[in-house]
This record gives sequence, structure tokens and C-alpha cells, in this order.
Amino acid sequence: MEKVKDFFDTWVKSQENFREDWIGTAKKLQQTLFGQGSATAGSSAAPGHEFVNIYNSWMAAVVNALKETGDTDVDVIKETLSKAFSSSNAYTKLYEVWLPLFKAIQEKTFSGDVDKDVVDPAKYKEVIDKIFGLSSPEAILEFYDQIAKLMQTFGVSARGFVEPWADAIQKNAKTLPQFAEGRPESLMNIFHNVFAAFDNTFGRIFHVPAVGKDREKVELLLRSFDDISIYLAKNTEYQHRMYVTGLTAMEEVIKTIARKIKDQEEIKNFDEFFDLWLDTNEKAYYALFQTKEFSQMQGELTDASLSVRKHFFKLMELYLYDFPIALRSEMDDLYKTIYDLKKKVKVLEQQIKHLSAQEVAA
Amino acid sequence: MKTPFMTFDTKTIIRELGEVNRKLIRGTETLTEVDEIDVGTAPKELVYEEDKLRLYHYKQEGAVTCRVPVLIVYALVNRQYMLDLQPDRSIVRNLLQHGMDLYIIDWGYPTKADMYLTLDDYINGYLNACVDFVRERTKRAKINLMGVCQGGTFSAIYASLYPEKIKNLVTLVTPIDFSTDDALLFSWSKKMNADSLVDAYRIIPGDFLNAGFLMLMPFTLNIRKYLDMLDVLEDKEKLLNFLRMEKWIFDSPGQAGECLRQFIKDCYQDNKLVKGELKVGARTIDLKNITMPLLNIYASGDHLVPPSSSKPLNNLVGTTDKVLYEFKGGHIGVFVGSKSQKELAPTIAQWLHERAGGETVRNTPLRPEQPQMKAIKSAKREQSERSRGSSKREQSGAKKEKTQGRRDKKG
Repeated sequence: MEKVKDFFDTWVKSQENFREDWIGTAKKLQQTLFGQGSATAGSSAAPGHEFVNIYNSWMAAVVNALKETGDTDVDVIKETLSKAFSSSNAYTKLYEVWLPLFKAIQEKTFSGDVDKDVVDPAKYKEVIDKIFGLSSPEAILEFYDQIAKLMQTFGVSARGFVEPWADAIQKNAKTLPQFAEGRPESLMNIFHNVFAAFDNTFGRIFHVPAVGKDREKVELLLRSFDDISIYLAKNTEYQHRMYVTGLTAMEEVIKTIARKIKDQEEIKNFDEFFDLWLDTNEKAYYALFQTKEFSQMQGELTDASLSVRKHFFKLMELYLYDFPIALRSEMDDLYKTIYDLKKKVKVLEQQIKHLSAQEVAA
Repeated sequence: MKTPFMTFDTKTIIRELGEVNRKLIRGTETLTEVDEIDVGTAPKELVYEEDKLRLYHYKQEGAVTCRVPVLIVYALVNRQYMLDLQPDRSIVRNLLQHGMDLYIIDWGYPTKADMYLTLDDYINGYLNACVDFVRERTKRAKINLMGVCQGGTFSAIYASLYPEKIKNLVTLVTPIDFSTDDALLFSWSKKMNADSLVDAYRIIPGDFLNAGFLMLMPFTLNIRKYLDMLDVLEDKEKLLNFLRMEKWIFDSPGQAGECLRQFIKDCYQDNKLVKGELKVGARTIDLKNITMPLLNIYASGDHLVPPSSSKPLNNLVGTTDKVLYEFKGGHIGVFVGSKSQKELAPTIAQWLHERAGGETVRNTPLRPEQPQMKAIKSAKREQSERSRGSSKREQSGAKKEKTQGRRDKKG
């Protein structure tokens, strides 16, 4: 009897662990894929927000003070304040990025040629990350850690079938930083290797006839990871394109400055330089965004992220199936029924109205 | 001799950066003094509701000089209070001052229970119910319809389905021809997998759409705008105006999945409205059924709904009384720009007064000196000249409409 109790305790515990890991993964997924929950484009939670951090506690105090007033518009004010900090952070960071150039000009060592060494590309990347809310390699690594954890938990409840795969993910995740160096294919390769390894070892077991929901879950989980690998490959390609455009714009800024030096034109203050930088970038990105290739790439990236979301929700449903709660698909059915009934009621109401009008007329 | 390049040194840069931070800190004090970001303050009463939709009637404090009521139809994206964002920049207040009787639809915030709502539900259902309500309430067979942005598309579709209920149609910055690639949203939407989007979300979050809007001008909208704000942070009134706009921008209702699916696929991707192939409910939309007078207003510098998408409407409708009106500004400027306050509302009011079929208190132009009316008069003159010299088929207001000046700043 004791053993039976232990069995159920373990079973419940593994369900709880899975759920907790799942929630953690879902949060990371949202933050990484959709910029929701914390990081939106240009928000204070985007990567590279050291400047904002300085003010975080002070800002929190201000926001709390606002909350105490019972102001219903506190979110707008809070968000605006956060964006103001974020923008001034970008402004300051930009100064940091271009400082070597300013020094070179003042020390008359600036040759006027486009010289990437004059600006640190890594720092420049931080500015671009901030503006577009792009994921840093660290964020993606963190996401992978979470997935690996989820896999391990799942592995326990599936009698360790998938543990080796989870190990493989963890090991490969450590090699991920290379993707930031502009090799879109690297992620895809890593994941296909993992899938191949898995298939050659534990994957075979799933080729046997149906073994119930567990098999369905594992298959869906595999599908989800495949989706993630596609998403990450697309995301890498997308980010790479964004960085390349940023670097092209940076070179354009340097060229413009070189031209101004040659023409003995004056830049009076940092604001003016900031405007030059901003306009050059806006133009460069607008040109990129206008291309059919970009629309295509953005469409595919969105599609890939939506596939991940869709399969994760499906998997979630499978896992929650045994619990006494209404599932998403069940709610969808209910909404559909309500929608259809409402339509019918409205038609009937109209018919009654017309009949009443006809009776009055008669 | 020109001044040497980069006259600023490290000290001045540091001073500039310090100044930015000083403004930020001092401005924060002003932010804490903001009690409420009030928007949509023109007095109005709720007169009809159905599901999440609300229909409001604006209180007319003066005299109603144009007795044919106007029903304003805003887009499903963002909120209708853009037309009454702040008291001194309010098309609504302005139209009221010009003697109009106004109703406005608030579509509400859809929840998952609304995910199955289709274009048919919005147009043949909700919009039709509002039109009928206003007709019954004012005891008029026909009313005026004024559609804004996507609300303009809905209004054009509605007017083609129920021409017997619409006296005059006014469209503002309205997308009609979706084949254009003059605006990023149009080209991006063509590559969007609407099925995946709807299947994954059901109700597409406003944040999702906002992320797309911010990408249109990422540096301006994410950085410059907030740095520019620092200059007004210490002025409470100016700051409030900034915050009102911020509130509107990020107050984005989710989109009912089925409706958005159809709008993306049938309009953005297949351009069915222009091709005469769009089906709403059981009927196919033929814009030629728009036989009532049409005032089609577009913004020359609109980066969300480019002129190339709005202008073709005048070529597609069946009416001969049609005016294509160019506003020199951007998409948002149409509603809140100081120029639009002086120009657009009086123009619309006058145009509607002239087409009220005798149901006006006075028929004389309200502001005879408005330069903008010259554009309408000239368009009308042009139209009558054309109708004298050519077939009716060629009486397009859009085709030969003069453009007025240079392209303005982006909205």
C-alpha cells in the first residue's frame, strides 16, 4: 500500500515539476519569441540597459508613488518614463560607441577612410539590439537551459527515455554563441545533429505501434523542438540581416563624417551628430524593410514563431488532459457554440421585430 | 572660411549628456504631478449597446444646423477617441461646433469569446444595427456615414450593400486598393501567414500589431520621440498632450481572429475589394453600388495608408458627385494636427451641409474664406467640366485631381 502511495506521490510530483518547468519555459518562450512579458522593442528590459539599471530603484520609487495616488493612467506614465530612460540610455550608449571616433578626430588621427576599428561592433550591436528588441545569445542560452530542464523532468516521467537527448541539448547550447557571429546555418545543424542522435538511440522506440498518450506527447514534443530549431535558424538569419544593416549604416555615418571633414563642414554638438546617426540608420533600415526579401524573411520568421506557439499549446493540452480543467480547444468549442447561438437569437429577434411591425401595420 | 569640423569637445559632449539627464530627472517630477490622462472628453451619452459594441451620441451644446446625423465608424485597430484626443485638437468638437449631429461607434475590446466574429458580423451585424438605430432614433430613411481608416473600408463596403440607407459617404485615410506596396504594412501583410496567426492567437494581441507599427520607423518611434519629449517634460500641458498620444498609440484592442484572417487574405493579399470579388456574408461587394455623394479624404504623407491605396475609390464608385480631397500631412495629422482642425472639420461640415437635401438650418457656407474649400470647388468645377466633355465613365475625381504641394512629414 505504501508503495502505491509512493507511486502516486512520485507521479503527482513529476506532474508538478513538469508544470513548473513548463511555466518557466513558456515565460522564456514568450520573452524570447515574442518580446512579451518584459522586453518589447526599445523597452528598458531589452538587452544592454546598464544605464537604466542605475535608475531602476529610483524609478520604482517614482512609479510606486504614482500608484499610491490611485492614478488609472499609471501604466502609460510608467511606460513613457521607462521609454524616456531607455532612449536617453541609447543616446548615452551611442556616445560610448562613437567615443573612439571623436577622439581620433580630435587627435587628428582619423584617416577619413572607413575603418571599422574606430567603432566597437560589439557595443554597436548592443544599440541595435536595444532598438529592435533582438534577443541576445545569453537570452537564447537561458531559454535552452530551460528547455533542457523541461526535457529532464519529462524524461523522469517517461522512464529516462529522453535524458540523453536533454544532455545533448545542454552540450550543444554551450556552442551557441557562434550563431551570433553571423552563421545562420549553425543552429539548424546543431539541432539536426541532436535529432539524428536521438533517433538512432531512443527514437527507434517510438516507431512501434501507438503506446497511448505518452507517445503522442513525445512526438509532439519532438515536433515542438523541431519548430524551435526552425524558428531559431530563421531568427538568426533575421538578426544577422539587422546587424549587417546596422553596420552598413555605421560605415555610412563614418563616410559622411569623412566627407564633412573634407568639405570643412561643422558639426556643432553631439545632438547634431546623433541626428545624423539616427537619420542614416532610419534610411538604411527603411531601405531594407522595403525589399521583398525582407518581407519574405519576416513572414517566415513570424510563421515559425507561431508554429512553436501552436505546438506548445497543443502539447500543454495533452499534458493537462487528465486534470479537471477546461482546455483551450474545449473553450474554443464553447465560444463557437455561444457565437452560433447568439447569431440565431439575433436573427430571431429581427424576425419578431418585423412580424410585430407587420401586425401593427395590419 | 568655414569653421573647423566638430567644434565640440569631450567637455561639451559630457555637458550635453548631463543636460539630457537633468531634463529627465526634472521632468520626472512633472510626470508625478499628472493626475489623469484625459481623452475623449467631448460630452456624449450611451444610446445603444450590443455585445461589446457601444454607440454614443455626442451632446450638441449649440444648434444642429445639419439635421442629417453622421455616424462615425472608426477602425478596429486602436480606439475611436483619436477623433477627440484633446479639447483643442478634436475633429469631433470641431464638427459639433459646425452644427453636425454626431454618433460614434466604440467597437470595444474583443476577448476570446469574440474570436469567431467575421467581417460579415461587423458589417452586416453591428454596423447595420447602429445605422438602423440612428435611422430609427432620428426618424430618417438615410443618414451620413463617416469612416476612418479601416472604418472607412467598412463604411464603403456598407454603403455598397445598403445604398438606400446612406445619404452621403465620407471616407478618411481609407485603404481600398491593397495592391500597392507604397507602405510597409501593405508589403509585409502580403507575406504574413494569416492562418498561422489566427490559429495561434485566436484574438491577435494589440501588442503584436503595435510591434509592427513601431518597426515602420524604429529609430524615430523608439528613440527620437522620447528624446524630443524631454524638451517638453517640464511643461505640464505639453507633456499631457504627449501622454494622450502615447495612451492612444498603446491602447490597442486585440483583433477578432476570423475577421482579421479575412481582412488580411481577401484585402491585403488578394485585393478582392477592388476586383469586385470580396464576399461579406452572402453578398459580393460591388463598389459601383455607392451611388450617394462621396467625399474621399486622403493624406499626402500617409505612411500607414498611402494615397495610392485611398485614391482609387473615386474611380470605383457609381456616384458622379464625388470629391477627392488631399490633406497635406500624415495619417495621424489628419486627426490631431493643428492644420487639420482649421481645415478638415469645416470642410467636411460644409460638404455635408451642401448635401443635406434641404435638411439644414442654413445653406450658406459656414466659413467662406477657407482656402481648402477652393480645392473642393475646383474639384467640382473640374468634374462638371469633365462631365460636359466626356462620358460618365471618365468622371473620376481621382484621376485628374491636382496634388496640393509637397509631401508632408510622415504621420
